[in-house]
Amino acid sequence: MLHIAHLTRRYGAIAALEDASLDVAPGEIVGLLGANGAGKSTLLRTAAGLQPPDAGTVTIDGVDLWSSPIEAKRRLGYAAEEPSFYEELSADEYLAFIATVRGLDAAAARARAAALVDALGLTGRTTEPVHQFSHGMRKKLSFVAAVLHRPPVLLCDEALEGFDAGGALAAKGELRALASSGIAVLFSSHVTETIERLCDRAVLLHQGRVVRVLERAAWGAPPSGPSPLEREFLVVAGSTP
Amino acid sequence: MPALVTSRTPAFQGLERALIRRRLMQLDPRLRVELGLLALLTAAVLFWQVRVPLDGLARSRGPFAAIGVVAVAWLILAALGSVLAGGYHARRLRAGPHGPEWLSLPLESSRLERHLAWESCSRLPWLAVPALGVLAAAIGLVPAWWLALLAAAFVGLLRVAGGLGCAVGYRVVLAATEPRARLHPIERVLAVAAPRVARRRVSGARWRSAPPWVALLAKDLLVTFRVAAMRRTAAVPIAFGVASLLAWQLPGEPAFRHFVAFALSLLAAAGLAEWLIVLAGSDPFAALRVLPVGVMTVWGARAIWAVVGALGLVATQAIAARGLSAHALQLFLAWSGAATVAIGVLGINYGVTLFPRVDVASRMLGLSLVLAMVASIMLPLSGWIILLTAVLHSARRLPRWAWLEET
Repeated sequence: MLHIAHLTRRYGAIAALEDASLDVAPGEIVGLLGANGAGKSTLLRTAAGLQPPDAGTVTIDGVDLWSSPIEAKRRLGYAAEEPSFYEELSADEYLAFIATVRGLDAAAARARAAALVDALGLTGRTTEPVHQFSHGMRKKLSFVAAVLHRPPVLLCDEALEGFDAGGALAAKGELRALASSGIAVLFSSHVTETIERLCDRAVLLHQGRVVRVLERAAWGAPPSGPSPLEREFLVVAGSTP
Repeated sequence: MPALVTSRTPAFQGLERALIRRRLMQLDPRLRVELGLLALLTAAVLFWQVRVPLDGLARSRGPFAAIGVVAVAWLILAALGSVLAGGYHARRLRAGPHGPEWLSLPLESSRLERHLAWESCSRLPWLAVPALGVLAAAIGLVPAWWLALLAAAFVGLLRVAGGLGCAVGYRVVLAATEPRARLHPIERVLAVAAPRVARRRVSGARWRSAPPWVALLAKDLLVTFRVAAMRRTAAVPIAFGVASLLAWQLPGEPAFRHFVAFALSLLAAAGLAEWLIVLAGSDPFAALRVLPVGVMTVWGARAIWAVVGALGLVATQAIAARGLSAHALQLFLAWSGAATVAIGVLGINYGVTLFPRVDVASRMLGLSLVLAMVASIMLPLSGWIILLTAVLHSARRLPRWAWLEET
């Protein structure tokens, strides 16, 4: 579903990505793990079409990103590490704009947005301009915008960073639901625990190179559902654990 | 405990040098050459306009009269610099200046004040361009040592004027700031910069199925209504458009009314282009570029605004300029309509291709329009050649829109 082949990207003399290749199959959640500066964001930004590679190709659901960018982006969702919005629009207006540009059915998109917003704990805040949002709320909005159209390929760059426990659990649930419906998810994080809990496979990136690929069996199955601390948080926050 | 950064420390000097270097490096080499050429042309045009009258003045009333004219011209430039720097400084202080969280750093307040004022004066060297044009026009007409003296005085005057403007801007902002005991004035100003507005809600969104360009048009309109600065930018072309309609009611010769109406309609077109540049600058880089829209959709949605502006102008002018003969009216409408579309498209091209540098795009638009105007005055119709060349030239970078990175 997502095929990244021999991707190289340099910033002057610095090689942010060096011959990086990976595949994500339909229904699979692949974790991209690496230290700060390992090249995770560069890989995801390049795969999202935000910057051209110096070499290599990105194929999204069979469509080459750089020869048919619009067609490829129809099949793509991207939750950025530092999302940017039209700050004066409300979250609701921003999502309506995204839905129209993506050509979604208005009523269905509205219902899906409402469900996601509710699950992530943004209910009651969607008529406020985005510039009033906290960092975590902005990340949640970016996540909703990325999954609104149930893209065949979803790229998440530190997507859950800044989420509260309830929001993070809901987002993980949404990611699992999307994956079980056949969507390929590439999820970057420098938090190993998130990758352990969420992903089927982990790709380790170091100095722009893919240095190791681990199957889930390599790290075992962590307990499903919320941890004891998360349970406490959800009780305090008034959500059902 | 770390030492206080005082005015003697070279930290700010290093920062200021690095900022100048960085800003120059941000412009790609070709753009740097183009800006240099445009500055040279602007200076040359001023030389061409000033040389002959100055020569006449020097011959009829002596070199000191010419020196007086040069001095007055430079005084006006310095005064303009003072106003620009002061206004910019006040705006920055109200909004919160760029850079780190200044108040969290162990800085001497007076040094911080000086650095912020330096930042606000950083555009003033552009005023040297017209000053050099005037200087070149005076060479050979007045004693060289007088010119050298005046030039040195101008450099000093520009610095003083910038500083004075910033001081006034600072006082204005300070006067509107709530007094706080034990806080240095600059700390007071920065502490309340860009105050958090009360939580505000807006009306519900309209969810609709429509082509992407319709969503972009609707979003442009919404952003313009929502953002005060954008509203002000959009009001300028409307104001000039209305003024160009009212110009037909002026007393005097029909030719004079015709000229004023046309000039004001061109200013309306320039205002429209400026709004389109600001709109392009308001597009968040990643938000738009991960969506399945290409540059032609984005460009096309903005071009619709240029066409709507031109049609609005032509339709209202057709009513207001009824007094003209049929042929003259047709020519006027064709000229002003085509100019509005061309200038609007030029604004779109600069706004889209120079993203996110709205200031550079505005400067390029202004320089291109001044050149076109001067060319028209020198040789009828040559302004069109300049304008259309600028439109085509600026369109070359459009295909790179998808990956024009924020730099």
